[in-house]
Amino acid sequence: MKTLADLKKIREKAQEEMKLRGSNYRIKVVVGMGTSGIAMGAREVMKTFLDEIATRNLTDVLITQTGEKGLSSMEPIVDIVEEGKPKITYGAMNPEKVRKVVVEHIVNGRVVSDYVVSTEK
Amino acid sequence: MQDLSLHLLDIIENSARAEAKLIEIRIDVDEVSDRMKIFVRDNGTGMDSKTLAMAQDPFYTSKMERVKKVGLGIPLFKQNVEQWNGSFLMKSELGKGTELFAEFQASNIDRIPLGNIRDTLLGSIIGHPEIDFQVCLKHEISGANLHYEFDTIPLREELGDIPITYPDVISYIENDINEGIQNTKMEEI
Repeated sequence: MKTLADLKKIREKAQEEMKLRGSNYRIKVVVGMGTSGIAMGAREVMKTFLDEIATRNLTDVLITQTGEKGLSSMEPIVDIVEEGKPKITYGAMNPEKVRKVVVEHIVNGRVVSDYVVSTEK
Repeated sequence: MQDLSLHLLDIIENSARAEAKLIEIRIDVDEVSDRMKIFVRDNGTGMDSKTLAMAQDPFYTSKMERVKKVGLGIPLFKQNVEQWNGSFLMKSELGKGTELFAEFQASNIDRIPLGNIRDTLLGSIIGHPEIDFQVCLKHEISGANLHYEFDTIPLREELGDIPITYPDVISYIENDINEGIQNTKMEEI
């Protein structure tokens, strides 16, 4: 059973890391979680991002979920927002595509153009 | 929606859109009386009676109101619950929040499974760092009353300035919820 002592350890480790890199996020990931997104598998997309962030220890990535985005035919939809860069929207996402976006885009900074449905400044 | 956990996710997203700061979730399975209950309460913006009626009725729309703020999720869930020898109740007050209560027959042949509540809860908790969640799972089997609670308020106090989205915290929450689901035998409901 995980205990509050485990949480203290996590806090100490995280505080050390935040001293080194600051507490700002480099990239924000937004998963569309409206009714149609959910029906099309957005929860699995969200879970895969969470797994990747946890296993790769991506401490500078913020992941959030949001409601309907008006692109129902392209669900599940994911936005990648990075300061000073155009917002990238990926569509028809699934766990496999998420893992590719994490490696290519989030870790190595290369947009996966095959999955992009819109780019917005 | 294929299972109850996806309906729950849809309901949670409605609460998030209504700017809730706290969402309470209770899932209660009573195998002795063969009833199952799902309760969700938020302290979001709430709805007036007209919007509340509209949120529950798939056909309530006029040409002017074709753009509904709440989609088909709630009417579909209501319809399902009523087919499982159950009842559905939604209460709301502007400025106070919304309460949703579903109660139905657990063994009903048409009832969809509970599904993966871990992924619903984990995604919602991490994906909405601005919202506190209080989760309670109860499972009554003859002779045993299994119980699990998860609350982000004491968790946040312990974390201090470390965000809930920090990788090790994600793993911690996932483990905790996993154990809670196993301990209450909620995997195969």
